[in-house]
Amino acid sequence: MSAVGSPLFSEVRLARQLLRGSDRRERWRIALTGAGAALATGFALAAVTLASVEGVYTVSVLHGLLSDPGTRSGVIAGLLLLLVPVLAFLGQCTRIGAVHRDRRLAGLRLAGATPWQVRRVAALETGLACLAGSVVATTGSVVVLLRLWSGPNATTWAGIALVAVGVPVLGAAAGALALRRVVTSPLGRVRRVRPAAGRGPGLLFLAALTLLAGVAPFAVTGGHRFGNRPHWETPLTVFCLVLALGTGAVWLAGATSRGVGRLIAGRARSAAPLIAAERLRDDPWAPARTHAALLVVTVAATAFLCIRHTFLAELRSDEQTGADVAYYTTGLDLTGAALLVALAIALSGLAVGTAESLTTRRRTLAAQVAAGVPRTVLSRALLLETALPLAPALLLAGAGGMVVGAWYATLTGTAALPWTALLVAPAVYASCLLAAATALPLLGRSVSPGELRYA
Amino acid sequence: MTNGETRGPLLAATGLVKAHGRTQALRGADVELRAGEILAVTGPSGSGKSTLLHCLAGIVRPDAGSVTYDQQRLDRLPEKRRSELRRTDFGVVFQFGQLIPELTALDNVALPLMLSGADRAEARARAGEWLERFEASGQAERRPGEMSGGQAQRAALARALVTGPKVVFADEPTGALDSLASEQLMAALAQTARESGTAVLLVTHDAQVAAYADREVEVRDGAVAALEVTA
Repeated sequence: MSAVGSPLFSEVRLARQLLRGSDRRERWRIALTGAGAALATGFALAAVTLASVEGVYTVSVLHGLLSDPGTRSGVIAGLLLLLVPVLAFLGQCTRIGAVHRDRRLAGLRLAGATPWQVRRVAALETGLACLAGSVVATTGSVVVLLRLWSGPNATTWAGIALVAVGVPVLGAAAGALALRRVVTSPLGRVRRVRPAAGRGPGLLFLAALTLLAGVAPFAVTGGHRFGNRPHWETPLTVFCLVLALGTGAVWLAGATSRGVGRLIAGRARSAAPLIAAERLRDDPWAPARTHAALLVVTVAATAFLCIRHTFLAELRSDEQTGADVAYYTTGLDLTGAALLVALAIALSGLAVGTAESLTTRRRTLAAQVAAGVPRTVLSRALLLETALPLAPALLLAGAGGMVVGAWYATLTGTAALPWTALLVAPAVYASCLLAAATALPLLGRSVSPGELRYA
Repeated sequence: MTNGETRGPLLAATGLVKAHGRTQALRGADVELRAGEILAVTGPSGSGKSTLLHCLAGIVRPDAGSVTYDQQRLDRLPEKRRSELRRTDFGVVFQFGQLIPELTALDNVALPLMLSGADRAEARARAGEWLERFEASGQAERRPGEMSGGQAQRAALARALVTGPKVVFADEPTGALDSLASEQLMAALAQTARESGTAVLLVTHDAQVAAYADREVEVRDGAVAALEVTA
């Protein structure tokens, strides 16, 4: 059988046809998925390139921060952590047009496609968008790399190839995984199972905590056995810690949304809070990943400001000893910049999620406006869906960051903490509201009477 | 004050023209609705029935022609005022989609009252009475996804009537129902409309549903083509 006639080739062709015939919403999904994949590829490529450098290597940029293996490891860890909000953003992108896509795939089932064929087509749709993003980012990164560094070795190129191929493959897997809650029947009906009860994130959090509790003692004792040299236990413990923090943040975000939804729904006196609260109570897990990324960024940014303040105070007191201040401030500035990038990505995810929740409900929203529900009520409800759960969660995240900062200050004996750290949570909160408000113009288009003409 | 019958039609449209992009949906449609009457608007699919209803309810503005409601030009009112009218004087029922999926049936029915400034407890009490009238009080705390199509449409009817509107616009209200549920819904709508003196503009392609009307007009190619007295 020729390659042209093979099932996989037909599915690639079908996925390409579906992309070509898609509407504006679908093109947005593809563009945003591609952009997310490009970001993920860029960060991962930077991390693998730095990881392939062995020993002390003089790098003229960033005050020699990349020259030493120790500080280089810190930069690599920072780049890998930046992948967390990028992945949350990509996850949000897979939700764009989900209902429309589910119906389209149900149409494929009606035409005789098997469930696995449908999943493969969905995977290819996302995989192709990720491939485009990966190709752009890889090409750009290689050009920059060859200009800055004359000595990439075989490990560098192998790492680059792995990332360039791995990102589209992971994207395709995520695309197939996004369909796990949807059962498409050959009758063209789409059944969406009830929103998750929240046991999943809670169990994942518990599993990550158990794993951490199991691995952490090995890291402590391993450190003694190997004379404080880092071994496999340390990165594994850090990985488990990050996993526990991530799953914990998702669980906290979802649980807060549900709790706030329940609390407000029973007490709402007007329409907008009632609609927002009931939506939060009905599916608190939909925005949980994006909210979790924002919580983690808030904790990290608050703690960072405290640590930066304490660290610089100590550095200034040691200045007479001849310490290279620029070397340390460059590292701190890089960390600050990374946190700002993470915040920008998480806010983009929030804006995308808000817009997606509007497009999914546009017929119902159009019917509400047709029945006389003022657009201002729907706009307020939309903003309250973001404002209500994030207020207590960000307050908690800000407090958590301050605790970390205060703990660090006690280690160094510095008493004062910067007042600017207190502003992080309110600033993130205001940014979240602005990000959610970017979807309001879309609300105007979503409630157009034209939506009433289609089922 | 004179009643609707002596002072002319409650709602009248003259020479309505409306296009959706390149598709000409209405080409000079004329129609009148008197106070308290049930008017069926029938016609084949794509003839412009729903667009006619949207123009009459003030959901869209016609490109040309006039819509007069209670002696005021509806087509000249700003969107805010038309939206207010739809909340206070009109009730709207669609085939589906008019109930908010996350709200219970009771809160869905209470919503128009809350939007008009009623206290939630009071709004819920009145909504409960309307659900009872439509024999749907058992569904009060259920969400639309947990109800059958017929039960959801009863809740939608209760929501459309809870503010005591002068006109109810129903666009294929039984389109997604089986014949028994369809008959029960129409009987409930007709009885309530007659008891309360509410006028109903009913868009349907189902002759059995149209039979509940006092009058029937047929829309063909964007114009009202035939007028026939059914009762």
